[in-house]
Amino acid sequence: MYLKNGPLEGKAYLVVDDFGDMRSLMRNLLMSCGVQDITPAANGTEAIGEMKRRRFDVVLCDYNLGPGKDGQQVLEEARHHNLIGLGAVFLMVTAENARDMVMGAVEYEPDSYLTKPFNKELLKTRLEKLIARKADLLPVEQALDRKDPAAAVALLDQKIAGKPANSSDLRRLKGEILLNMGETAAAREVYETVLAIRAIPWARLGLGKTFYLEKRYQEAMAVFQTLIDEQATYTSAYDWLAKCCKALDQLTEAQSALQTAAKLSPKAVRRQQWLGEIALQNQDQETAMAAFGKAVKHGRHSVYKHPSAYTNLAKVTAATQQGEQGLKLLREMKREFQQDPQADLYIATAESEIHEGMGNEEASRASLERAAEIYRGIDHLNDTGCALEMAKTYQRLGQEEKAVELMQNAACNNHTDDELLNEIKQTMRSVGVMPERLNTLDQLRREVAELNNRGVELARSGQLDEAIALLEKTAGRMPANRVINLNAALVLLLEAEQRTPTQEDCQKIDHYLQRVAAMDPDNPTLHKLQKRLSAMQDNTGVEA
Amino acid sequence: MKFSDILASTIHDMKNSLSMVINTLDELTQEELHAHDPRFSTLQHESKRLNNNLIAMLSLYKMENEQLSANIAEVNVEDFLEEVVIDNRTLADTRSVTLEYACEEMLIGYFDEWLIRGVLNNLIGNGLRYTRSRILIRAETVDNYLVLRIEDDGSGFPQQMIDAQAAFNRNETLGEGQTQLGIYFAAMVARLHRNGEKTGYIELSNNEQLNGGCASIWLP
Repeated sequence: MYLKNGPLEGKAYLVVDDFGDMRSLMRNLLMSCGVQDITPAANGTEAIGEMKRRRFDVVLCDYNLGPGKDGQQVLEEARHHNLIGLGAVFLMVTAENARDMVMGAVEYEPDSYLTKPFNKELLKTRLEKLIARKADLLPVEQALDRKDPAAAVALLDQKIAGKPANSSDLRRLKGEILLNMGETAAAREVYETVLAIRAIPWARLGLGKTFYLEKRYQEAMAVFQTLIDEQATYTSAYDWLAKCCKALDQLTEAQSALQTAAKLSPKAVRRQQWLGEIALQNQDQETAMAAFGKAVKHGRHSVYKHPSAYTNLAKVTAATQQGEQGLKLLREMKREFQQDPQADLYIATAESEIHEGMGNEEASRASLERAAEIYRGIDHLNDTGCALEMAKTYQRLGQEEKAVELMQNAACNNHTDDELLNEIKQTMRSVGVMPERLNTLDQLRREVAELNNRGVELARSGQLDEAIALLEKTAGRMPANRVINLNAALVLLLEAEQRTPTQEDCQKIDHYLQRVAAMDPDNPTLHKLQKRLSAMQDNTGVEA
Repeated sequence: MKFSDILASTIHDMKNSLSMVINTLDELTQEELHAHDPRFSTLQHESKRLNNNLIAMLSLYKMENEQLSANIAEVNVEDFLEEVVIDNRTLADTRSVTLEYACEEMLIGYFDEWLIRGVLNNLIGNGLRYTRSRILIRAETVDNYLVLRIEDDGSGFPQQMIDAQAAFNRNETLGEGQTQLGIYFAAMVARLHRNGEKTGYIELSNNEQLNGGCASIWLP
């Protein structure tokens, strides 16, 4: 090769800016750095469209994009739907201080912020560093892509041992991976190592998360409180503090933490929704109305736009102002959610409740029937949000039996999910379900857990046929229970591996795995079992 | 709406316009036709100064309204200074000033990158007015503080400013005569940086390495 390509060349760039002048300026800057492959986009929707069409290596996105999505919403949607790979660079271009955005971000942060105005050399240096950093992490990202987090951690350890200048970034990534793996003790070690040198907010946050995941809520709360004392504008600290309060049933404290965070960054849609829901549980209609109002307003172009924010706003409006006002909001909402059965369900339940409040009993009953019909149609999705919504409406309209039945199903299907169970209880309590009835949910959870444990024990003691019989029967009763379905697949695998498996065996195992894949495609156990199934098929030449 | 709020949002708007001016100027200066026209250098210098001052004013406005706290993060100091120098180099070149940085290898700092960048740009902008031929940015660790020094080989700070520096750090009234926005801003930003019991501050002195003025920012 005669000419060595610079690190910026040979890559695909997307430039997002609502000003034509800025787009051509950026284009000129990039071209003078040797870049050739440049796609412009004039707004967020165009940008997302381009990213769906092809893969980009570098996205340069202005934060302020006029009406429609802003830069943060473009980033959220792109990452949420995996439109850009982990190895792609996302550079947010801002007119002023990026801090408000950094601190407000709930889930995703760009790789870097670039403040306008900047010159060619600065852009070039920054991009070179970011591209080099991504290239350095490529093997780690590949390991994550093939769902092998342990390998990713091992690679990071090798790099950290070399004491590179970016070892702090590497530790941060390692901590996150370990947290996702549920390796809380190892993650804690990472964060404590960092904190021993200096009080770094992300490390403090990570440390608190390790306690939270271990259900050591008091310790977690103390850590998040310390973080808030150190850095009062770090919004994630309030989110996690609120999660702890919620787990400990301290709903007033949870609300006040979220209110502080929402005040610091009012545009974070998910936080506003969450705040509204907790305020409803606290019977604080005023706060709920403001929060849902903001969730609707700022969420219109967001990937986190959710029908419940709209219907909750309508319900609170109807309750505090006029029923007609609430119905009007629902009619407006219909235009925004077309061909969306989940949204239809939320609308129907809200209509039913609002009509009930207005004394229109017939209309209320008709809406409830429609809701029930829609719910039957989407039952297979196992959307616990919809189930809870349906249950709340039944309860409010005096059909407690149906409400409780729905809750029991949700509890059985998610018997290991403490957070969800807690949510169900808090929500149902707030609409007046008696605590004794809610205690039956715990009883049911224990029964499911016992069935599951017995199946696992039978398998361990070698009684595979008995284990299969029990777990298949239980999975038949609870087709949406991940743990049970995974264990049914596991015992079938164990048994089939001992002999020459048939095509039927493989299909049966695959059937249980598919159920889980439909609900929880990123489940790590699912991936292990899928690999094991295909290994068995490879060894024996059976096709599923 | 208070007048200060209108002022702040207007500054914000002015900054956007100014961004376009600066970018267009940068483009024009790249063209051979204008490359040696000293009037472009004046335009660039003055618009950069405007921009730096607007940033400082916006930040000070936010500080006063307690909307601003330092977002402390680890910063690779060498990378950071490299960018600051690149950002100001064109300007220094057109004024025939050598702009350089000196930094310990692998030095990690803990500070708010955005705010400190604003402070350095401002101090460099001032330095370009008073220096003869050189500006040097030095970074080092002294007594667990990260010290960033901006030095020039001009005639140095007047004695009354050096005498008045304690007042800057206490957030008291500015010295007589010139409003030293750059220095005031630096002191305010330094004070936002805390670590345990320690608080950041600035120090003005003369005749350090380059025999001119030297503004140091001490960050704990």
